[in-house]
Amino acid sequence: MKLFLQLFLQFFHVGIFSFGGGYATLPFLYAISENYHWYTTKQLTDMLAISSITPGPVGVNVATFAGFATSGIPGSLVATTAIILPSFIIVTIVYNVLDKFKTNRCVKGAVRGIKPAGCALLSAVGIRLIFTSNLHLLGTLLLLFFIVVSLIKKQDPLVILSVSAAAGLALGYFNWIGV
Amino acid sequence: MEKNVYSIFKTFFKVGTLLLGGGYVILPLLTSELVDKKHWISSEELCEYYALGASLPGIIAANVAIFTGKKLLGLKGAIAATVGMILPAFLAIVLLASILSELVTKPSIQNIFWGVGIGVITLLFMAVKEMWSASVKDKFSLIVYLVCVVLALTSKVPLALIIIMALISGIIFQKIEDKRNNFKFENTEDKSK
Repeated sequence: MKLFLQLFLQFFHVGIFSFGGGYATLPFLYAISENYHWYTTKQLTDMLAISSITPGPVGVNVATFAGFATSGIPGSLVATTAIILPSFIIVTIVYNVLDKFKTNRCVKGAVRGIKPAGCALLSAVGIRLIFTSNLHLLGTLLLLFFIVVSLIKKQDPLVILSVSAAAGLALGYFNWIGV
Repeated sequence: MEKNVYSIFKTFFKVGTLLLGGGYVILPLLTSELVDKKHWISSEELCEYYALGASLPGIIAANVAIFTGKKLLGLKGAIAATVGMILPAFLAIVLLASILSELVTKPSIQNIFWGVGIGVITLLFMAVKEMWSASVKDKFSLIVYLVCVVLALTSKVPLALIIIMALISGIIFQKIEDKRNNFKFENTEDKSK
Protein backbone atom coordinates (compact mmCIF):
# COMPACT_ATOMS: atom_id res chain seq x y z
CA MET A 1 0.00 0.00 0.00
CA LYS A 2 2.83 2.34 0.93
CA LEU A 3 4.49 1.51 -2.40
CA PHE A 4 1.35 2.50 -4.33
CA LEU A 5 1.14 5.76 -2.44
CA GLN A 6 4.80 6.57 -3.20
CA LEU A 7 4.30 5.60 -6.84
CA PHE A 8 1.24 7.83 -7.02
CA LEU A 9 2.91 10.83 -5.36
CA GLN A 10 6.08 10.61 -7.47
CA PHE A 11 4.24 10.45 -10.80
CA PHE A 12 1.71 13.06 -9.72
CA HIS A 13 4.64 15.38 -9.09
CA VAL A 14 6.01 14.65 -12.58
CA GLY A 15 2.59 15.63 -13.98
CA ILE A 16 2.65 18.94 -12.13
CA PHE A 17 6.18 20.12 -12.83
CA SER A 18 7.09 18.94 -16.34
CA PHE A 19 6.69 21.78 -18.80
CA GLY A 20 7.31 21.62 -22.54
CA GLY A 21 5.81 18.31 -23.56
CA GLY A 22 7.24 14.98 -24.72
CA TYR A 23 10.74 14.72 -23.34
CA ALA A 24 10.12 17.37 -20.63
CA THR A 25 9.06 14.57 -18.28
CA LEU A 26 12.51 12.96 -18.61
CA PRO A 27 14.50 15.00 -16.07
CA PHE A 28 11.94 14.02 -13.42
CA LEU A 29 11.85 10.39 -14.50
CA TYR A 30 15.66 10.18 -14.26
CA ALA A 31 15.51 11.80 -10.82
CA ILE A 32 12.98 9.14 -9.72
CA SER A 33 15.27 6.35 -10.93
CA GLU A 34 18.08 7.75 -8.78
CA ASN A 35 15.96 8.26 -5.66
CA TYR A 36 13.70 5.21 -5.64
CA HIS A 37 15.38 2.37 -7.62
CA TRP A 38 12.08 1.32 -9.15
CA TYR A 39 13.94 1.13 -12.46
CA THR A 40 17.57 1.84 -13.43
CA THR A 41 18.68 4.77 -15.60
CA LYS A 42 19.77 2.18 -18.18
CA GLN A 43 16.26 0.69 -18.18
CA LEU A 44 14.79 4.15 -18.62
CA THR A 45 16.99 4.82 -21.67
CA ASP A 46 15.98 1.44 -23.15
CA MET A 47 12.39 2.32 -22.39
CA LEU A 48 12.69 5.60 -24.28
CA ALA A 49 13.85 3.76 -27.37
CA ILE A 50 10.91 1.40 -27.06
CA SER A 51 8.44 4.19 -26.50
CA SER A 52 9.51 5.85 -29.76
CA ILE A 53 8.31 2.80 -31.66
CA THR A 54 5.15 2.17 -29.62
CA PRO A 55 1.99 4.29 -29.74
CA GLY A 56 1.31 7.16 -27.41
CA PRO A 57 3.07 9.93 -25.52
CA VAL A 58 6.50 9.10 -24.06
CA GLY A 59 5.49 10.24 -20.56
CA VAL A 60 2.60 7.78 -20.45
CA ASN A 61 4.81 4.97 -21.79
CA VAL A 62 7.41 5.49 -19.10
CA ALA A 63 4.89 5.88 -16.28
CA THR A 64 3.20 2.64 -17.35
CA PHE A 65 6.56 0.88 -17.56
CA ALA A 66 7.79 2.15 -14.18
CA GLY A 67 4.56 1.13 -12.50
CA PHE A 68 4.73 -2.27 -14.15
CA ALA A 69 8.38 -2.77 -13.11
CA THR A 70 7.52 -2.06 -9.48
CA SER A 71 4.27 -3.96 -9.03
CA GLY A 72 2.72 -5.28 -12.22
CA ILE A 73 -0.51 -4.07 -13.78
CA PRO A 74 -1.95 -2.44 -10.60
CA GLY A 75 1.27 -0.42 -10.31
CA SER A 76 1.12 0.68 -13.95
CA LEU A 77 -2.50 1.79 -13.48
CA VAL A 78 -1.55 3.85 -10.43
CA ALA A 79 1.47 5.52 -12.09
CA THR A 80 -0.35 6.29 -15.34
CA THR A 81 -3.37 7.77 -13.55
CA ALA A 82 -1.07 9.82 -11.33
CA ILE A 83 0.85 11.39 -14.22
CA ILE A 84 -2.40 12.39 -16.00
CA LEU A 85 -4.41 13.59 -12.99
CA PRO A 86 -2.66 17.01 -12.58
CA SER A 87 -3.38 17.75 -16.27
CA PHE A 88 -7.01 16.93 -15.65
CA ILE A 89 -7.30 19.29 -12.70
CA ILE A 90 -5.28 22.13 -14.23
CA VAL A 91 -6.90 22.02 -17.67
CA THR A 92 -10.39 21.93 -16.12
CA ILE A 93 -9.60 25.07 -14.10
CA VAL A 94 -8.01 26.88 -17.06
CA TYR A 95 -10.91 25.91 -19.36
CA ASN A 96 -13.34 27.71 -17.06
CA VAL A 97 -11.33 30.94 -16.93
CA LEU A 98 -9.99 30.75 -20.47
CA ASP A 99 -10.31 34.41 -21.48
CA LYS A 100 -8.82 35.75 -18.26
CA PHE A 101 -6.05 33.16 -18.47
CA LYS A 102 -4.98 34.23 -21.95
CA THR A 103 -4.58 37.92 -21.10
CA ASN A 104 -3.26 37.61 -17.54
CA ARG A 105 0.19 39.23 -17.18
CA CYS A 106 1.24 36.92 -14.31
CA VAL A 107 0.49 33.86 -16.46
CA LYS A 108 2.49 35.39 -19.29
CA GLY A 109 5.44 36.01 -16.98
CA ALA A 110 5.23 32.54 -15.45
CA VAL A 111 5.33 30.90 -18.89
CA ARG A 112 8.31 33.07 -19.88
CA GLY A 113 10.22 31.77 -16.85
CA ILE A 114 9.13 28.14 -17.03
CA LYS A 115 9.80 27.45 -20.71
CA PRO A 116 13.57 28.08 -20.69
CA ALA A 117 13.77 26.23 -17.35
CA GLY A 118 12.10 23.13 -18.84
CA CYS A 119 14.53 23.27 -21.75
CA ALA A 120 17.45 23.65 -19.32
CA LEU A 121 16.47 20.59 -17.26
CA LEU A 122 16.32 18.47 -20.41
CA SER A 123 19.74 19.76 -21.54
CA ALA A 124 21.18 18.74 -18.17
CA VAL A 125 19.77 15.22 -18.60
CA GLY A 126 21.34 15.00 -22.07
CA ILE A 127 24.74 16.08 -20.76
CA ARG A 128 24.57 13.60 -17.86
CA LEU A 129 23.54 10.77 -20.21
CA ILE A 130 26.60 11.35 -22.41
CA PHE A 131 28.87 10.77 -19.41
CA THR A 132 27.00 7.83 -17.88
CA SER A 133 26.07 5.69 -20.92
CA ASN A 134 29.44 3.91 -21.46
CA LEU A 135 29.73 5.34 -24.95
CA HIS A 136 33.53 4.90 -25.19
CA LEU A 137 35.32 6.34 -28.23
CA LEU A 138 33.27 4.80 -31.06
CA GLY A 139 29.97 5.57 -29.35
CA THR A 140 30.95 9.20 -28.83
CA LEU A 141 31.93 9.52 -32.48
CA LEU A 142 28.63 7.93 -33.52
CA LEU A 143 26.70 10.37 -31.32
CA LEU A 144 28.59 13.35 -32.78
CA PHE A 145 27.85 12.08 -36.28
CA PHE A 146 24.10 11.74 -35.53
CA ILE A 147 23.89 15.18 -33.95
CA VAL A 148 25.69 16.87 -36.85
CA VAL A 149 23.51 15.06 -39.41
CA SER A 150 20.28 16.02 -37.61
CA LEU A 151 21.39 19.61 -37.21
CA ILE A 152 21.99 19.88 -40.96
CA LYS A 153 18.62 18.38 -41.81
CA LYS A 154 15.87 17.29 -39.43
CA GLN A 155 15.76 13.48 -39.43
CA ASP A 156 12.88 11.10 -38.83
CA PRO A 157 13.28 9.69 -35.27
CA LEU A 158 12.65 6.18 -36.63
CA VAL A 159 15.55 6.52 -39.09
CA ILE A 160 17.93 7.60 -36.30
CA LEU A 161 16.81 4.73 -34.07
CA SER A 162 17.08 2.10 -36.81
CA VAL A 163 20.54 3.25 -37.89
CA SER A 164 21.77 3.36 -34.30
CA ALA A 165 20.31 -0.09 -33.60
CA ALA A 166 22.07 -1.49 -36.67
CA ALA A 167 25.32 0.21 -35.61
CA GLY A 168 25.06 -1.33 -32.12
CA LEU A 169 24.46 -4.79 -33.58
CA ALA A 170 27.37 -4.48 -36.04
CA LEU A 171 29.86 -3.05 -33.53
CA GLY A 172 28.86 -5.70 -31.00
CA TYR A 173 29.38 -8.45 -33.59
CA PHE A 174 33.01 -7.34 -34.06
CA ASN A 175 33.42 -6.81 -30.29
CA TRP A 176 34.12 -3.10 -30.81
CA ILE A 177 31.62 -1.68 -28.32
CA GLY A 178 34.23 -1.25 -25.55
CA VAL A 179 36.59 0.59 -27.94
CA MET B 1 -20.90 12.56 -36.81
CA GLU B 2 -22.76 12.30 -33.52
CA LYS B 3 -20.87 13.35 -30.39
CA ASN B 4 -21.22 10.80 -27.61
CA VAL B 5 -18.86 9.26 -25.09
CA TYR B 6 -18.22 6.25 -27.31
CA SER B 7 -17.51 8.16 -30.53
CA ILE B 8 -15.17 10.56 -28.69
CA PHE B 9 -13.35 7.64 -27.09
CA LYS B 10 -13.01 5.89 -30.45
CA THR B 11 -11.66 8.98 -32.19
CA PHE B 12 -9.01 9.67 -29.56
CA PHE B 13 -8.11 5.98 -29.35
CA LYS B 14 -7.32 6.15 -33.06
CA VAL B 15 -5.18 9.27 -32.60
CA GLY B 16 -3.40 7.69 -29.62
CA THR B 17 -2.60 4.60 -31.69
CA LEU B 18 -1.16 6.64 -34.57
CA LEU B 19 0.88 8.80 -32.21
CA LEU B 20 4.37 7.35 -32.77
CA GLY B 21 7.72 8.84 -31.86
CA GLY B 22 6.86 11.61 -29.45
CA GLY B 23 3.99 14.05 -29.28
CA TYR B 24 5.06 16.43 -32.02
CA VAL B 25 2.82 14.86 -34.66
CA ILE B 26 -0.30 15.26 -32.57
CA LEU B 27 -1.54 18.51 -34.12
CA PRO B 28 -1.73 17.26 -37.73
CA LEU B 29 -3.33 13.99 -36.52
CA LEU B 30 -6.01 15.77 -34.50
CA THR B 31 -6.68 18.24 -37.30
CA SER B 32 -7.33 15.42 -39.74
CA GLU B 33 -9.66 13.55 -37.34
CA LEU B 34 -11.54 16.33 -35.51
CA VAL B 35 -11.58 19.16 -38.03
CA ASP B 36 -11.47 17.61 -41.50
CA LYS B 37 -13.32 14.32 -40.97
CA LYS B 38 -15.76 14.93 -38.10
CA HIS B 39 -16.17 18.73 -38.13
CA TRP B 40 -16.39 18.73 -34.33
CA ILE B 41 -14.29 21.86 -33.77
CA SER B 42 -12.64 24.51 -35.92
CA SER B 43 -8.97 24.49 -36.82
CA GLU B 44 -8.47 27.78 -34.89
CA GLU B 45 -9.93 26.29 -31.70
CA LEU B 46 -7.72 23.23 -32.01
CA CYS B 47 -4.59 25.36 -32.51
CA GLU B 48 -5.51 27.41 -29.47
CA TYR B 49 -5.98 24.28 -27.34
CA TYR B 50 -2.64 23.00 -28.56
CA ALA B 51 -0.85 26.24 -27.71
CA LEU B 52 -2.49 26.31 -24.26
CA GLY B 53 -1.82 22.61 -23.71
CA ALA B 54 1.84 23.16 -24.49
CA SER B 55 2.19 25.98 -21.98
CA LEU B 56 0.53 24.03 -19.15
CA PRO B 57 2.34 21.32 -17.17
CA GLY B 58 2.03 17.64 -18.01
CA ILE B 59 1.82 15.63 -21.20
CA ILE B 60 0.75 17.85 -24.11
CA ALA B 61 -1.27 15.12 -25.83
CA ALA B 62 -3.29 14.59 -22.65
CA ASN B 63 -3.81 18.33 -22.13
CA VAL B 64 -5.12 18.78 -25.68
CA ALA B 65 -7.38 15.72 -25.29
CA ILE B 66 -8.85 17.12 -22.07
CA PHE B 67 -9.47 20.57 -23.60
CA THR B 68 -11.12 19.13 -26.71
CA GLY B 69 -13.13 16.52 -24.82
CA LYS B 70 -14.42 19.18 -22.45
CA LYS B 71 -15.43 21.41 -25.34
CA LEU B 72 -17.26 18.51 -27.04
CA LEU B 73 -19.14 16.96 -24.13
CA GLY B 74 -18.10 18.47 -20.79
CA LEU B 75 -16.45 16.35 -18.12
CA LYS B 76 -17.69 13.08 -19.65
CA GLY B 77 -16.11 14.07 -22.96
CA ALA B 78 -12.85 14.98 -21.27
CA ILE B 79 -12.63 11.60 -19.56
CA ALA B 80 -13.54 9.71 -22.76
CA ALA B 81 -10.94 11.65 -24.77
CA THR B 82 -8.16 11.19 -22.22
CA VAL B 83 -8.74 7.48 -21.69
CA GLY B 84 -8.91 7.00 -25.47
CA MET B 85 -5.67 8.93 -25.99
CA ILE B 86 -3.58 7.07 -23.40
CA LEU B 87 -5.05 3.56 -23.57
CA PRO B 88 -3.02 2.48 -26.66
CA ALA B 89 0.21 3.63 -24.95
CA PHE B 90 -0.75 1.80 -21.78
CA LEU B 91 -1.65 -1.46 -23.51
CA ALA B 92 1.44 -1.45 -25.73
CA ILE B 93 3.79 -1.08 -22.76
CA VAL B 94 2.00 -3.63 -20.54
CA LEU B 95 2.24 -6.17 -23.38
CA LEU B 96 5.88 -5.37 -24.12
CA ALA B 97 7.08 -5.07 -20.51
CA SER B 98 6.41 -8.73 -19.81
CA ILE B 99 8.58 -9.93 -22.72
CA LEU B 100 11.14 -7.16 -22.44
CA SER B 101 12.96 -8.35 -19.31
CA GLU B 102 13.66 -11.73 -20.95
CA LEU B 103 14.75 -10.23 -24.26
CA VAL B 104 17.25 -7.82 -22.72
CA THR B 105 19.43 -10.62 -21.32
CA LYS B 106 20.49 -11.79 -24.82
CA PRO B 107 23.90 -10.31 -25.80
CA SER B 108 22.89 -9.33 -29.35
CA ILE B 109 19.82 -7.52 -28.01
CA GLN B 110 22.02 -5.75 -25.46
CA ASN B 111 24.23 -4.52 -28.30
CA ILE B 112 21.19 -3.21 -30.15
CA PHE B 113 20.10 -1.34 -27.03
CA TRP B 114 23.60 0.10 -26.61
CA GLY B 115 23.31 1.53 -30.12
CA VAL B 116 19.74 2.69 -29.65
CA GLY B 117 20.85 4.48 -26.46
CA ILE B 118 23.00 6.71 -28.68
CA GLY B 119 20.02 7.31 -30.97
CA VAL B 120 17.91 8.26 -27.95
CA ILE B 121 20.49 10.83 -26.76
CA THR B 122 20.40 12.31 -30.28
CA LEU B 123 16.58 12.55 -30.18
CA LEU B 124 16.82 14.14 -26.76
CA PHE B 125 19.10 16.88 -28.09
CA MET B 126 16.74 17.40 -31.03
CA ALA B 127 13.96 17.97 -28.50
CA VAL B 128 16.24 20.40 -26.64
CA LYS B 129 16.80 22.28 -29.89
CA GLU B 130 13.06 22.58 -30.53
CA MET B 131 12.33 23.68 -26.99
CA TRP B 132 15.22 26.15 -27.17
CA SER B 133 13.86 27.87 -30.27
CA ALA B 134 10.41 28.09 -28.67
CA SER B 135 11.64 29.44 -25.34
CA VAL B 136 15.01 31.22 -25.38
CA LYS B 137 14.21 34.48 -27.13
CA ASP B 138 15.74 37.31 -25.06
CA LYS B 139 18.36 38.03 -22.40
CA PHE B 140 16.01 37.11 -19.55
CA SER B 141 15.19 33.64 -20.90
CA LEU B 142 18.88 33.02 -21.70
CA ILE B 143 19.86 33.81 -18.09
CA VAL B 144 17.08 31.56 -16.73
CA TYR B 145 18.26 28.80 -19.06
CA LEU B 146 21.92 29.04 -18.01
CA VAL B 147 21.19 29.28 -14.27
CA CYS B 148 18.86 26.26 -14.46
CA VAL B 149 21.38 24.13 -16.41
CA VAL B 150 24.11 24.88 -13.86
CA LEU B 151 21.77 24.20 -10.91
CA ALA B 152 20.52 20.92 -12.39
CA LEU B 153 24.03 19.68 -13.19
CA THR B 154 25.95 20.72 -10.10
CA SER B 155 23.52 20.97 -7.18
CA LYS B 156 21.09 18.71 -5.39
CA VAL B 157 18.25 21.26 -5.62
CA PRO B 158 15.02 19.33 -6.40
CA LEU B 159 13.91 19.86 -10.01
CA ALA B 160 10.46 21.01 -8.86
CA LEU B 161 12.09 23.81 -6.86
CA ILE B 162 14.09 24.93 -9.92
CA ILE B 163 10.84 25.14 -11.90
CA ILE B 164 9.13 27.11 -9.13
CA MET B 165 12.02 29.58 -8.91
CA ALA B 166 11.95 30.07 -12.70
CA LEU B 167 8.19 30.65 -12.52
CA ILE B 168 8.52 33.31 -9.80
CA SER B 169 11.39 35.09 -11.53
CA GLY B 170 9.33 35.13 -14.74
CA ILE B 171 6.41 36.81 -12.99
CA ILE B 172 8.68 39.38 -11.33
CA PHE B 173 10.49 40.14 -14.58
CA GLN B 174 7.17 40.56 -16.43
CA LYS B 175 5.94 43.03 -13.77
CA ILE B 176 9.15 45.08 -14.01
CA GLU B 177 9.00 45.09 -17.81
CA ASP B 178 5.32 46.11 -17.83
CA LYS B 179 6.03 48.97 -15.41
CA ARG B 180 8.94 50.22 -17.51
CA ASN B 181 6.79 50.11 -20.67
CA ASN B 182 3.96 52.00 -18.96
CA PHE B 183 6.45 54.60 -17.78
CA LYS B 184 7.81 55.09 -21.33
CA PHE B 185 4.25 55.30 -22.62
CA GLU B 186 3.35 58.05 -20.13
CA ASN B 187 6.52 59.98 -20.99
CA THR B 188 5.80 59.99 -24.72
CA GLU B 189 2.23 61.12 -23.98
CA ASP B 190 3.54 64.06 -21.94
CA LYS B 191 5.82 65.15 -24.74
CA SER B 192 3.04 65.07 -27.32
CA LYS B 193 1.07 67.52 -25.21
